[in-house]
Amino acid sequence: MLEMLSYDFMQRAFIAGLFIATLASLSGTFVVLKRYSLMSETLAHSALVGVAVGLVAGYNPLWIAVIVSILAAWLIEYLRSSFSIYSDAVLSIMLSGSLALAVTIVSLGGAFNNSLFSYLFGSILAVSDTDVYTIVGFGSFSLLFLLLFSKELYFIAYDEEVAQTSGIKVKFLNFLLVSVVAIIIALSIRVVGSLLIGALMVIPTVAALQYRVGFRRTMLIALFFALFSVILGMSLSYFFSLPSGATIVLCVIIIFVLSLVINRR
Amino acid sequence: MPVKFKAPIFDVKNLSFHVRDQVILENISFEIFEGEYIAIIGPNGGGKTTLIRLLLNLEKASFGEIRIFGKKLQDFKEWYKIGYVPQRATLVDETFPGTVEDIVNMGRVARRGIFAGMSTQDREKVRDAMIKMDIFDLKDKMVGTLSGGQRQRVMIARALASSPKILILDEPNTGVDVVSQQRFYGLLAQLNKEENITILFITHDIGVIADDIGRLFTINRKATICNDPKKLLSCDEVSDLYGIAAHSLANHKHEH
Repeated sequence: MLEMLSYDFMQRAFIAGLFIATLASLSGTFVVLKRYSLMSETLAHSALVGVAVGLVAGYNPLWIAVIVSILAAWLIEYLRSSFSIYSDAVLSIMLSGSLALAVTIVSLGGAFNNSLFSYLFGSILAVSDTDVYTIVGFGSFSLLFLLLFSKELYFIAYDEEVAQTSGIKVKFLNFLLVSVVAIIIALSIRVVGSLLIGALMVIPTVAALQYRVGFRRTMLIALFFALFSVILGMSLSYFFSLPSGATIVLCVIIIFVLSLVINRR
Repeated sequence: MPVKFKAPIFDVKNLSFHVRDQVILENISFEIFEGEYIAIIGPNGGGKTTLIRLLLNLEKASFGEIRIFGKKLQDFKEWYKIGYVPQRATLVDETFPGTVEDIVNMGRVARRGIFAGMSTQDREKVRDAMIKMDIFDLKDKMVGTLSGGQRQRVMIARALASSPKILILDEPNTGVDVVSQQRFYGLLAQLNKEENITILFITHDIGVIADDIGRLFTINRKATICNDPKKLLSCDEVSDLYGIAAHSLANHKHEH
């Protein structure tokens, strides 16, 4: 079992995977409580546009994915607040539009290959040193934000207006939260894949909520579920040559089902 | 007339609020002083909640000026001095991951810095607020599992934890039984008398709290202020604007 850690690529995959599990589950608590679950899916598809541009233009796809994902998050917030369009309709339009744009770009650039496949479903083989530095660099900033502002974000998730009337900068923090979620999603697509990252962000929290415990314990349970799923999922990916995103998400779904059954009332 | 203790907490002059061509509130002026207990009544759609939202900077006034503790609304920063309990306060998602203590802790968030954890003073304020609202024994319970009356007290405790000068309540009564409601009114009167916390309270139960309140604002696009508590239930303006006879309000008091 531990033999797999003797390989450099597995060490890189585990560093990236554990970092992403931490970021996805901690941010996922706020994403779920604020009813932003569909937004994580939409941003994951927007990140794919960045990957497509990166692959075609020859730049680091992860960097471009981070930039495009942040721009998409801002555009979603702008459309939701400035036009009379239902929020879920905005997300649906952006999701389909992003995927269509990404597929068109890679088709025109002739980059429809295994490399794109790894960004769709995640691959432990594909995590490079540069990816690890990018994930740890941007990820540290995101983690710092989540830890520093967790009490404010929790209050906002509970009641946005009451939080605002107590003097908390709600609009600014919401804006920062969607930006950080966009970064985390873009960073995650290397290991989990753009089609599956939404699940790693949302399901550990939804499973943790079944235990009906306070805020901190809910966050810690979600973190534990995400870390466990990533370790087990990447190990299964290694032993059975499966896409890591798929095995990780299947693990987290099994945890969710068990949590539902254990806490059935 | 109210006793003028210090500079007003709220000083509202010629306040109007329009949505497109519709006038929601028109030329409203009043002052609220420290230690007062004011009830706001008026028909549904009369603009009561809009007035509260304007005072809390959740809506922008079309015309007029609001000063809080002597400062212009846009320059006012010490929002933790104002405790707000909205209408939907008792409607909590059952799965929301929050114990009673988690929720009351929120009252200290705006007072703490970004890097600060809960200080001893923060913990004491939270504990005091829970004891005052008689929910200390429930502190580890999930808020979603509480009754309407218990939730109501949790929300007041959250507001109290920030040591506010004024509590603004927008009829937070949904799902609350009559007995709990009576207890709630008693707690508000106690906070006003013993802690000198100013209270601004939108309610339909004016008859029940008539003995506690000092002034009555009736809001129905315009405001009428009834200053004399002894004549509270016979103010002609109250009857006219609220749309029911004053004696109905008085009778309502005895029904509870």
